Order: sequence, then structure tokens, then C-alpha cells
Amino acid sequence: MIQRLIENATQLFLLLALAPLVTGVIRTLKARLQTRRGPGILQPYRDLRKLFGKGMVIPETASWIFTATPWVVFFSTILAGLMIPMVAAKAPLGLFGGVLAVIYLLGLGRFFLALSGLDTGSSFGGLGSSREMTISALAEPAMMLAIFTVAIGAGSTGLTEIAGAAIGQTWRFLAPAQMFAFAALALVLIAETGRIPVDNPDTHLELTMIHEAMILEYSGPYLALVEWAASIKQLVLMTLLINCFWPIGLQPTWFGFGALQGIGWLLAKLLLLCCAIVLLETVNAKMRLFRVPELLAVAFTLGSLALVSTFLF
Amino acid sequence: MLLIALLLIPVIAAAASFFVRRRAAMEAANVIGFGIVFLAAVALAGQVLARGTVSLANGFFYADALSALVILLTASVALVCATYSIGYLRDDQQSGALGDDASGAEQLARLRMYYTLTPLLVFSMLFMAMANNLGVMWAAMEATTLASIFLVTFYGKVTSLEAAWKYAIIGGVGLSMALFGTLVAYYAGHRLPGSESLSGLNWSVLAQHAAQLDKTSMRLAFVLILLGYGTKAGLAPMHTWKPDAYSEAPVPTTAILSTALLNCALYGLIRFYILTSRCLGADFPGHLLLLFGLLSMGVSVPFVLVQKNYRRLLAYHTIDHSGIMATALGLGGTMGSLGLMLHMTFHTIAKSLLFLCAGNVYQHFGTDLFAKLKGSVLRAMPLTGVVFLMAMLAIIGMPPFSLFQSEFLILRAAFDGGHLLTGVLFVLFSTGVFTGAILHVGGMVLGPGGETAVAARRPWRDGSMLALAAALVVIGFWVPAPLFQLISNAARVVNGQ
Amino acid sequence: MSPFLDMQFGDRIVTLMAALVLVLQIAMVAQRWIVVHIRIFAAQSFFLAMIAATIAWYNHAPHLYIAAVLTLVVKVTLVPLLFERLVKRMEIHEEIEPIVNVPLSVVIAGGLTLVGYVVAESFYRPEEPGLGHNALAVAISLFLIGFFTMINRRKALTQVLALLSLENGLFLAAISLTYGMPLIVELGIFFDVLVAAMVLGILVYRIRESFASMDVSRLRRLRG
Repeated sequence: MIQRLIENATQLFLLLALAPLVTGVIRTLKARLQTRRGPGILQPYRDLRKLFGKGMVIPETASWIFTATPWVVFFSTILAGLMIPMVAAKAPLGLFGGVLAVIYLLGLGRFFLALSGLDTGSSFGGLGSSREMTISALAEPAMMLAIFTVAIGAGSTGLTEIAGAAIGQTWRFLAPAQMFAFAALALVLIAETGRIPVDNPDTHLELTMIHEAMILEYSGPYLALVEWAASIKQLVLMTLLINCFWPIGLQPTWFGFGALQGIGWLLAKLLLLCCAIVLLETVNAKMRLFRVPELLAVAFTLGSLALVSTFLF
Repeated sequence: MLLIALLLIPVIAAAASFFVRRRAAMEAANVIGFGIVFLAAVALAGQVLARGTVSLANGFFYADALSALVILLTASVALVCATYSIGYLRDDQQSGALGDDASGAEQLARLRMYYTLTPLLVFSMLFMAMANNLGVMWAAMEATTLASIFLVTFYGKVTSLEAAWKYAIIGGVGLSMALFGTLVAYYAGHRLPGSESLSGLNWSVLAQHAAQLDKTSMRLAFVLILLGYGTKAGLAPMHTWKPDAYSEAPVPTTAILSTALLNCALYGLIRFYILTSRCLGADFPGHLLLLFGLLSMGVSVPFVLVQKNYRRLLAYHTIDHSGIMATALGLGGTMGSLGLMLHMTFHTIAKSLLFLCAGNVYQHFGTDLFAKLKGSVLRAMPLTGVVFLMAMLAIIGMPPFSLFQSEFLILRAAFDGGHLLTGVLFVLFSTGVFTGAILHVGGMVLGPGGETAVAARRPWRDGSMLALAAALVVIGFWVPAPLFQLISNAARVVNGQ
Repeated sequence: MSPFLDMQFGDRIVTLMAALVLVLQIAMVAQRWIVVHIRIFAAQSFFLAMIAATIAWYNHAPHLYIAAVLTLVVKVTLVPLLFERLVKRMEIHEEIEPIVNVPLSVVIAGGLTLVGYVVAESFYRPEEPGLGHNALAVAISLFLIGFFTMINRRKALTQVLALLSLENGLFLAAISLTYGMPLIVELGIFFDVLVAAMVLGILVYRIRESFASMDVSRLRRLRG
């Protein structure tokens, strides 16, 4: 019992603490790659602290959805994060359905965010919400197909079992089903976290933003919650990607020296993935919105190929 | 030895044409080269008749009666077309169809391209007929496509480009399928002894052990080969490139394409047919061939009936005849095979003659539409008109011409073998084509026409055409005994003996 | 035992590369820029050469090394260079517009891959050990997707590239079914591919000159 509590608390702490760090690292690396100095790795922490201290302005036309959304998004994302194996193969929280629960919790957060965008009554909010829904309508099936492939390979949808199965076989990731699933999930990661080439996280131009448009009306602590939740979601998806396919360094249990080793490996792999994302963002330009379905169609096809190939190989 | 000579001489002729400066030298190189090739082909036929098969280089080259016949036909067509093209291209040069620059450099370049590519085309066809290795056979077929693409674009018109593009793409896709089929056939045989080396793809080896080939693979292989080589032969529904390519290429090239190349494509089909029928029994390949053959015949009927352009008419006619030959192959048996071989021989003579006459008409009148030619051919070019009409009657199967015999034999094979539907459809479609051809060509040659000048005589052009016409008439009454022996030996090869 | 000598490891590597080749083929379907098209083709051919070399190593079939080198020379270097020069000369700036829109074509390509797998199943003999079962499925899929891409494109040069990727599929099928074909056949085929690429390149150039566009749907004067 106590062990479970400690595991949950540690993972919670990791999620809350690492998420802004990941965002900061990505921003700084991107800036350095573009020969700028960048805001510094710890800037998101400073932003959060600043935002929590500021006052809030809430539109008059907003309903309870507007005020409820930041909490719903934040807690659903944290709940989803607690179910992912981060340091050890055993995830602290093992709810109904494992990976399905993760997907639906993230989906719940997105649903509320989209509603709040509409709720404000401003045109930017509606614009952002409709775009976000378009992208997620295509990205979610791809993600599910890829996840199911991995789950079939592991024989269960519980993330603990998935990660455990991945640890056992050394060259498993060379199987084409895994490759396709990895590629599909990587494409979905870009779409879900709002990275270039799908969405530009640094822009506030009305015609090009998707995620930013939905949260445009938020300010103060609500904005802090929403942004933190976004970076936690990013961390969750990245960890999912890493630990389902490259589980090197995942410890079987939480305790002992192994835990520190596990945290070290996690940080290293996250850094690698951050570099890949930064490279991708710098080399590509943002796609026009009606081109995004093409990218996601490729992800969908890869996901379905991955799923089918587990039966055919 | 003869085989090597048959291959080397066209290459030398091509090289010679490429490097010489004057047009007369190019023409001479071509004619002399093809003359020697023709003599060598006759000699080869004699050797094959005497010894059965001729092979060289440890079975890399292999010529039996079937190959010898195809080589002989190719060589004869090449020779006739070479002499014809002398007159034809000289006329083109004079009339400015080859380009208008004063110094004549562009025209000379075009002529050089023609006189270089044609021997290379003939070289690839000869190579294909004597190659034992199925993969080399495929490579030679692809080489014929590549060599003929630029011959189709010879006149440089916009429509020529379009025709060449269709030819290239459809031919390319078809040949890829044929390559796939060859590959699968290799796989079917790869468990036979000695297959890792070159001989695993050798036709003679595969034919000997055909019963042990893997059945599912051979089925797939035959379908792919039928689709692939059938594209080159012009079987429907892969025939769409033919009318365009035949109406845009220079006439001697079209004559070679429609006879010699058609024979080579059928040769490839026949080789695989022999393998497949020995492995799976004659029913499976036979039925597929009947399907495609009758389809080709059927598809050509409406296009022959409603046709405005006589060169395209001849092209659809060729599609009809490839359908007839595919049907004959599908019927099989002694009569079917004999009919096929006879038809191949007679069709080569008649069809090339038709195209040569069409070339004469085109060069004099400058148009290939029926509407502008009504009835004037006989008036303006009496010799050509008579020969055209006679060749047309021959090719649609009118007695006493030779094609009547071969088509009758095929019909007999159909009814004797119990393929009643095939026989009926055959007669139906042939009637349709008969009607269309007589209507259009008869209307073009005979009938009241306008005032037209009498065409100039071109000795090379008209001479070669007359020689071929004489051959056609003679063949109808008397086939020289060695030739008939060669044909029946070839038929026996097809029938699997 | 060193992983490099283990047959299983070789099988995995070949499967991995075959999967990459398949992904590249699907990427070609989704592509909009001709230059990227050409480069994807080059990358695909490169992986094919690597597959040939791997199978040559593990199955002790030395003539496949020659096929690999030929692929590298012809399909990875010469043909893409040829086409890129052609593109530069023709100064093409437009994007490729496929006839069926991109997401649908990608899904169709996925469907064709499934067909390829089903067809390859009938060739699968469990009693024959050796590499290349997955590679055959990928090869047939490449063939089918290349065929589909040819029909789906309007621009002449992209049709040629689709035809070449179709032949890539055939090469992969040859390697995986029978460890390549006899050497002289391979030589003949490569020579043909090279000449075909040159010939088609020249044709495309002349079409562009005459029609001021590579759009083959404009080639409609010859009918009936």
C-alpha cells in the first residue's frame, strides 16, 4: 500500500516537474539550432510562476465549461500520465483498459478544451476548436491502430504488460509491425502535441494557430493550468512512444538504486527524442491546413499496416 | 556460327550507318546487311531442317524449327523493308517531310537515326528468337521496344510524340508484367537440378522437366506472361497503343513492327505456352488464350467498320490477326498448331505488303483519311491500287489466297476439338472485319473519283512492293517444300513433340 | 555466436529494410514535389541494394553482390541524376496533382499492400528456410502500388518514376524468391532499365517542349 503511494507520488512529481523542462529544452534547442540564444531551459517554470500570480479575466459570455475546463484538462492529463510506465515497467496506476484509458482520458481533455474554445464566443476560439477536432479525428484512429498493434504483440492492453513484453525480446523492434506502429505513433505525436509541420506552437497569428487559438481567452492561473497540462500531455505521449518501443533502461520495479538508473535512462531517451523533434521542426515548414489530412492519412495507413502485419507475419 | 553471324551483321550494319556521312552509303549498308542476314537465315533454316536443332555456347543460343521460322520471316521482312525504305525515304526527303533546313543536316540526322535504329531493332528480334534463356529473351524484347520508340517519333510531329509515349508506357508496363512472369517461371523451376547456374532459366531445360515444375507458380507465370507479351502482340485489352504507333511511324517501320515484332511477341507466348501446357495440361493456357484471342478479334470489329484512317484500319486489322493467332494457339492440337504457323507465315507476307502499299498511297496523296481519297487510288497509281486490293482480299481470307487455307485450318481445329462457340465467334468476327475492310479499301481503290495526277514512279519503292506481291500470289498456289517442312516442324514443336 | 552470423538476425534486418522500402513507396504516393519523388526513389533503390547485399551475405549467394552494386550504380546514382538534371532543364515548379486525392490514394496503397501480402502467402513454404518471405510480400505490394501510382498521375515524369518503382518491386521479388536471376539476365535487365530511363527521359523532355506541359491528359489527339 505504502509502496503504491510512493510510486504514485514519485511519478506525479516527475510528471509535474519534467513537463515544463521538456518544453523548455525543446524551445532552447530550437533556438540554438537557429543561431539564436533562446529563452533558457527554465523559462517555462518562470512563466508558470508568473501566471499563477496574475489576475484572471473571464469573458461574460462564458459558461461553467470555461471555468471547469482547465481543471478537467489538468487532472485528466495527470491521471493519464500516472498510467504510463516512466521509470519502471510497472505503471503506478492500472485502471480499466490500460492504454485505452490513457487515450480516452487525453481525449476527454481535448474535448473539454475544444468546448471551451467555442464557449468564449470569439471567432478565434471556434476556429481553433474546429481545426483541432479535424486533426484529432484523423490522428486518433491512427494512434489507436498503432497502440493496438503493440498491445497485440504484448497480449494485453495494460501498459505494464506492454512495456514488460518489450523488455524481454532484444530485437523485437526490428519486426515490421513494430516499425510501422512506431512510425505511425511518431506522426501522431507531432499532430497531437501541435508541433511543426502540423501546428506552430510559437505563433499567435490567427490564421495559423490551432492549439493557441482554443486557449486564447485564458489568462492567469487558468492559463497556467492549461499550458502545464499541454506540456504534461506532450511528456506523456513522448514517454509512451519511447517506452513502448525502446524500453532500454526500464527497470522492473521502482525501488533501489535501479530507480535512479531508470530516471537517468528516461532523461537520456527524452533528450534524444527532443533533439529529433527539434530537427524535424527546424527542417520543415508548417503545412497548410488542408495538407494535414494527407500526413495523417499516411499515419493511418501505417497504423493499419502495422496492425494487419501482426497477423500476417 | 550462323547464329553469331545473324547477330553480328545487323550490329555492324547499324554501326556503319551511324558513322558514314552519305545517305547512299547508309542505304547500302542496310540493304547489304539485311541481304546477308536473309541468306544466313535461309542457311540456318536448312541446318535446322537437317539436324533438328542448332545450339551454341553450351545451350545459350538455341534454334529449333520454330526459332528458324521466326528468324526467316524476320529476315525477309527486314530485307524487303530496307529496299522499300530507300525509295520511301528519298521521297520523304524531297517532299520535305523530314525537315526543311537548306543544308539538309537535320534530314541526314533523321535518316541516320532511322538507318541505325532499324538494324538494332532487327538485331534484338533475332536475338530474341534464338535465345534459350527466358530472361535474355525478355531483355531482347525490351530492347525491341526501346529501339522502336524513336522510330515512332521519326517525323517529330506532336501526334508522333503522343503515339510514342503511349507505346512506351503501355509497352513498359506490359514488359514489367512479362518480367514478373519470367521470374515466377524461374521460381517454379528452381528446385530442378542445376538451376543455380545459367541453365535454370533455359527454355530447353525447363521444357524437358516441365512436368516437375511447381503448378501454382506456373499458373501465375502464364497469366503474367500472357498479359505482358500479349501487350506487345497487341491482344485486347492491351492493344490501345497499336493504332497510334502504326499510324505515326514511318511505313517500313510499321511493316516490321506489325509482322516481325508481332511474330516475336507470339514466339515468346508460344514458348511459355509449351512450358505451361506440359506442366498443367493444355486446358488452362488454352482457355485463357482463347479468351484473349476472341476478345481481340471482337474488339477490332467495330473499329474496322467505323474507321476514317486507312493506316489505323490496318492497325486494327493487325490486332484482329494477333487475335486469330492467339486463338489458334489456344486451340492447340496438330491442326491448330499447323494453322498457327501457316497463318504466321502468310500474315507476315500479306500484312507487310499492305503496309507498303499504304505507304505508297500516303506518300502520293499526303493524307491517310478515306474521305479525301475516294476512288482515286486506281486512277493515280494503277499498280499500287491493284496490289492493295489484292493484298486486302488476301488478308481477309479470300480464296485462292493462302490465308484462306490457314484460317480454314484453324476453324476446322475449332470444330473438331469441340470448341463450337469459338468457331462461331471466329466466323462472326471475321465476317465483320471482312465487311469493313472491303467497304473501306474497296471504296478507296475503286469507284468514281476525282481528277488526280498520276503518281511518279519510284523504282525502289515500287519494285520491292511488286516483289512482295509476287511472293504473295505464288505462295497462294505453291509453298516450296522446304518451307512447308519448316512450318510443319515448327507446328510440331508448338504441339509439344 | 556473433549476431552477424545468425540467420535470424539477418532475417530481421531484411524485414526491417523491406518495411522501410514499403514506407518509402507509400511516401511516394503521398508526395507532391517531383524532386522529392526522385530522391525517395533513390533512397528506395539504396535500401534494395542493401537488402541484396544482406541476402548475399547470409545465403552465400555471391552473384547478388554484383546485383547490389549494379543497383547502386544504376538506380541510386545514374537514373536519379539523370532525372534531376532533366527537371532542372525543364524548370518545373508546379506540384504534382494526383487524380485521386492524396489521403484516399494513401489508403488505397495500404489496401494494395494487403493484397500483396495475401498473394505472397501462396508462395510461402514453411519447410524452406531462408530469408525473404516478408520481402516477397513487400515486392508484390511495390509492384501493385507502382501500377496504381502510374494510373493516378497526370505528369509524364511521375509516371516514369512509378514505372521504375514497379521494376524495383520486381527486383526485390527476384531477390527474395530465387536469390536473383542468373547474372547475365541481371545484366541485361539493368542495361534495359538504364536505357529505358534515358529514352523515357528524352520523351518526357520532348513532350514538355511540344505541349508546354508534362500533363499527359493533354495527349488526346489520336482517337478511334
